[in-house]
Amino acid sequence: MATAAVDREVVLETRVLKKQFGGILAVRDVDLAIPRGDLRAIIGPNGAGKTTLFNLITGDIRHDSGVIRFCGEEISALPPDQVCRRGLGRTFQITSVFRRLTVLENVQTAILVHRRRHYNLFARAGRLYRDAALALLERVGLAGQAPKPSGILSHGDQRRLELAIALASEPRLLMLDEPTAGMAPRERHALMALVAKIAADTGLTVLFTEHDMDVVFAVARRITVMHQGAVIAEGAPRDIRLDPEVQRIYLGYTKAD
Amino acid sequence: MDLITSLFPWITNGPLIAVQVMSGLSVGMFLFLVSVGMSLIFGVTRIVNLAHGSFYMVSAYLMVTLVEWLPEGATGFWISLVLAPIGVAILGGVIEVTLLRRIYHRDPMMQLILTFGLILIIGTLVLLVWGPDNKSVSRPDALAGSVRIFGQPFPSYYLLVLGLAPVVAVGLWLVFYRTRWGMLVRAATVDREMLGALGVDVSTLYTEVFVFGSWLAGLGGALAAPTVAVALGMDADVLINAFVVVVIGGLGSFAGTLISALLVGELQSFGILIFPAVSIVLLFAIMAVVLIVRPWGLLGRPEE
Amino acid sequence: MTRATATWAIGFVVALALPLVLSTFFIVLLIEIAVVALFATAFNLLMGFGGMVSFGHAAYFALGAYAASLLAQKAGWPMLAALAAAPVVAAFGALIFGFFIVRLTHTYFAMLSLAFGQIVYTIIFKWTSLTGGDNGLLNVWPPAFLRSHTAYYYFTLLVIGACFLALYAVVTSPFGYALKAIRENPRRARFIGVNVRRHQLYAFVLSGFFSGVAGGIFAFHNGSVFPDFAFFAKSFEPLVVVLLGGVQSFYGPLAGAFGFKLLEWVISKWAPIYWPLFLGAIVIAVILVLPQGFVGLLERRTWRPRPSIGK
Repeated sequence: MATAAVDREVVLETRVLKKQFGGILAVRDVDLAIPRGDLRAIIGPNGAGKTTLFNLITGDIRHDSGVIRFCGEEISALPPDQVCRRGLGRTFQITSVFRRLTVLENVQTAILVHRRRHYNLFARAGRLYRDAALALLERVGLAGQAPKPSGILSHGDQRRLELAIALASEPRLLMLDEPTAGMAPRERHALMALVAKIAADTGLTVLFTEHDMDVVFAVARRITVMHQGAVIAEGAPRDIRLDPEVQRIYLGYTKAD
Repeated sequence: MDLITSLFPWITNGPLIAVQVMSGLSVGMFLFLVSVGMSLIFGVTRIVNLAHGSFYMVSAYLMVTLVEWLPEGATGFWISLVLAPIGVAILGGVIEVTLLRRIYHRDPMMQLILTFGLILIIGTLVLLVWGPDNKSVSRPDALAGSVRIFGQPFPSYYLLVLGLAPVVAVGLWLVFYRTRWGMLVRAATVDREMLGALGVDVSTLYTEVFVFGSWLAGLGGALAAPTVAVALGMDADVLINAFVVVVIGGLGSFAGTLISALLVGELQSFGILIFPAVSIVLLFAIMAVVLIVRPWGLLGRPEE
Repeated sequence: MTRATATWAIGFVVALALPLVLSTFFIVLLIEIAVVALFATAFNLLMGFGGMVSFGHAAYFALGAYAASLLAQKAGWPMLAALAAAPVVAAFGALIFGFFIVRLTHTYFAMLSLAFGQIVYTIIFKWTSLTGGDNGLLNVWPPAFLRSHTAYYYFTLLVIGACFLALYAVVTSPFGYALKAIRENPRRARFIGVNVRRHQLYAFVLSGFFSGVAGGIFAFHNGSVFPDFAFFAKSFEPLVVVLLGGVQSFYGPLAGAFGFKLLEWVISKWAPIYWPLFLGAIVIAVILVLPQGFVGLLERRTWRPRPSIGK
């Protein structure tokens, strides 16, 4: 297994990360090192522990042992809102937007929370950060939908909105949990191409889980493969595609090459 | 040591303590009867029946009326004791079928608000039927006096409760762990959907559980009638007490409710000796702590 | 000036003119409507905007009422000072109770809030030496210049009007936006950096504060305060008002307050004994008739693009 080129700064790092639920070892001894600017895909069958890993990193659940470091700082014990403030952005497996708020308000709220103005009782929130919010919406292609309640958007558009919300926190690392779930293939490629472009433009590091191998191989710079809670392979897409272990597990998942 | 004995002069008084413990047990058993019904209903239907105290109250008032109608004496009393809970059980059944059935799939808040509304309706109906004055039920002659336990006086009627309660508790245990129905009920508290998928008529089961729970509340009310002033406002007192018991013990847990009820009973019994006003605040404080540290109660199961 | 502002200006002018045409009875009714409207709006800050249903909110109303009364009567404070202190006491109570309550959700939140409400009731009821227990506190009157109903009406209009403005500011402020975000999706709110618990606690305290204002105003209007201001059945009232008027909008509780008080007046004339029954029946009817439930209640608004947004 080729190891990551560590001449670039490591943004996210986990060591010997472990989480047990009852009798099941959901995440076992996971070592992960994401360098800056990486576009890392984490793949694995359902139940491999990908979402658990995400939740451990973001502080939604407590780890049993191991260390999680973000930009050198240990974040293992921090609650989610603190993790976000350190520079981690996240989208969720099930689309999570603020349904009854408008598209614009969704992003405005995210921005004003990021700027720590959410304890302000006196400003007219509707007027704050409109330009910044619209710019973000423009970036994800939703500017035209700004006044609509986000709940009525199509699934794909809600995903884009969630991306905009995550970006509003100006993260250094963006974690996308199955960002393309429920989308048609063309939509999937479009969304991930958008993500890749944003990452390239802003130097953002991206970590995402994905089931569609076409998308993974098209977008990812490096791939980490998980199975039953452990990392079983890691490397460039080309190498992963040829890895016999991975092929054995994914028989039927990959496109025959 | 002297400080303690001067603050709590009864602390070296063994017999007095023993009697207080027994008294606390009786109070605990009343609470258990009411609370276990509430806990049971929540465990199966996931509805907290705020009108539970109202059922208790209705049963107490029914006791008043039944005892008046039926011939004087012990037989009349015992028959009333049997009939009153049945009356409340019927009331519970009617409510379940006409109202609760429509809201099982709804937001828990709506369900709570609805049962909250029932408190007002039932309360007013009681007022309309029985009037605003306090009522009372006399104890049957055989149990009207007191006996001496360790030399201390102890109301005989409480002996009835102390005697009946274990019977009821054992009876409940038998029902839940030794009958098919009880097994279905326990299964329903764990996984309702699965039960339905297995072909069990969950809807009827819900009604049966609600009726049974109401009957238990009614039993508590009927038993309690000779010991308290039967008055409006009983529903609130009992509701809050049952609440505290059920939350501490764990919503949906039989054993938890039992332990918690006895604990609360003892606390109230001794609390009155220590510092009457504080005891109730202490009770709430304990409940608050439990809700924070272990929201599903001592023996309850974490909610999803 | 937007249409909304214009409507409010007209409404305010009308409200100022009303005592000239209405009898004392109706002026008194209006004062009570204003009190109920403020209490319900404060309650709705939590329910409609925060997604938290409190079942023991009467406690904060009562704390405000008793604080105002006790300070005026036993400590000899001037009425205005007592009235200013009342919401602070209520907010303090909300801070203490809220600290525990916001750690829970839904059913347990409701239950704990109910229990805390009863604690307040019990303390007021039992602490006879301070609160007069069941007999309550009597002869809590405003100073001479506010003793006429008309004068108190204008005073109420001023104070409660200011509170409404403040609550509106809260709801449209960044704080309000974050609160709504929490209501919509706590997990998402957490992951844009909101400390959900702390935010909810602050909302709880604000709600308690304004409930206390309502209580204080009512104390001096009523001339007396009683323990059952804190009884859990009284906690039902803001709930009914909000359900009647509309959970989703800021003005819903105000409309609901009118409807509620008018209904109460009618029923009291006809058969006052039936009022609680009627209350319970209304709420049950409202619940059964709204199939979408709590969430649906909030989703009823028809979507209309607002014209002012855009580049």
